Amino acid sequence: MTSGVTWFCIGLTVGAYTLSRVVARRYPSPLTTPVFFSTVLIILVLIPTGLRAADYEGAKGILVSLLGPATVSLAVPLYKNRRALLTNTLPACAGLVVGSLGTLAAAVFVARVLGLPDVVRASISIKSVTAPIAIELAPIINASPAVTAAFVIATGMIGAMIGPWLLSATGIHDPVARGLALGTISHGQGTAQAVLEGELQGAAASIAMGLTAIFVSVVAPVLVPWLG
Amino acid sequence: MKRLLIVIAQLAGLLLVSQLGYAIASWLHLPVPGNLLGMLLLLALLATGVVRLAWIEASASLLVRHLAFFFVPITVGLMGLGDLFRANGAAIVITLTVSAVVGLCVAGLSSQRLASRRERRPS
Repeated sequence: MTSGVTWFCIGLTVGAYTLSRVVARRYPSPLTTPVFFSTVLIILVLIPTGLRAADYEGAKGILVSLLGPATVSLAVPLYKNRRALLTNTLPACAGLVVGSLGTLAAAVFVARVLGLPDVVRASISIKSVTAPIAIELAPIINASPAVTAAFVIATGMIGAMIGPWLLSATGIHDPVARGLALGTISHGQGTAQAVLEGELQGAAASIAMGLTAIFVSVVAPVLVPWLG
Repeated sequence: MKRLLIVIAQLAGLLLVSQLGYAIASWLHLPVPGNLLGMLLLLALLATGVVRLAWIEASASLLVRHLAFFFVPITVGLMGLGDLFRANGAAIVITLTVSAVVGLCVAGLSSQRLASRRERRPS
């Protein structure tokens, strides 16, 4: 039986998301990113009504059941942009392997130096994997799905904000290399940024996002416990 | 109305592929997300021509466009974790920024170097 609370939470989530899309279009800024904005809005509504995270679980179960088909759909941009990959196989694969391993190792290392707790360290290691896959990968490596999702989205924002500037400053002008770096590190949000630079950058980013998710999903269960 | 029915039928197809991905992951005891296997399965079906892009495109592009929606229920779970972020906020931001900078530079430089080497080679 689906309770009234669950229906209320589903309605609230759909409403908050719809509103956030409108706000993001009118006032584009990292703070109006739909995920961030909707989450804050929902929490602000839940707190005064006395509902807790546990009361939201029912709605979460129903809404997250659509995450599977949504992730499967990512095969479509991958398939459409296959030409960009086939003509740049070696630089693309080398870049995303080195880039995703580099960011994973750097994250685990810095987190350890700064003394972050275990669950945070595990969650931060996979923050460059696109959110739908990172959420499912999290329990496999003893990370928290919610914390991981927050890190993934924050990484997307950071990369989209500083990425284009940083790449220019370090002399990276090749369109495939730029798109690849943005997609590898900042997944969906990086891809959206790369699309603004050009079609080739966008295609490279979208391929890199998909392949990074595949690569990290395969290596993280072995690598993350080993890096500790 | 017809468009809605098409989208629903396509959605059912995508759901089927996704469920197959989860089933394969649990049968073979693979430590890999089931939805990732579903994505690879759909990619293989498209590449081999078993499934045509037109059969699923309307629904798939709708889901990809609103992918962010499906993360919201997960991030609402942060509600109970306020203390974790209050205690470690600065360290988390530093870790995320440093690792993003390292990753962007390493990925960009290595692929640019390899791409330019290939271009210089006479073909």
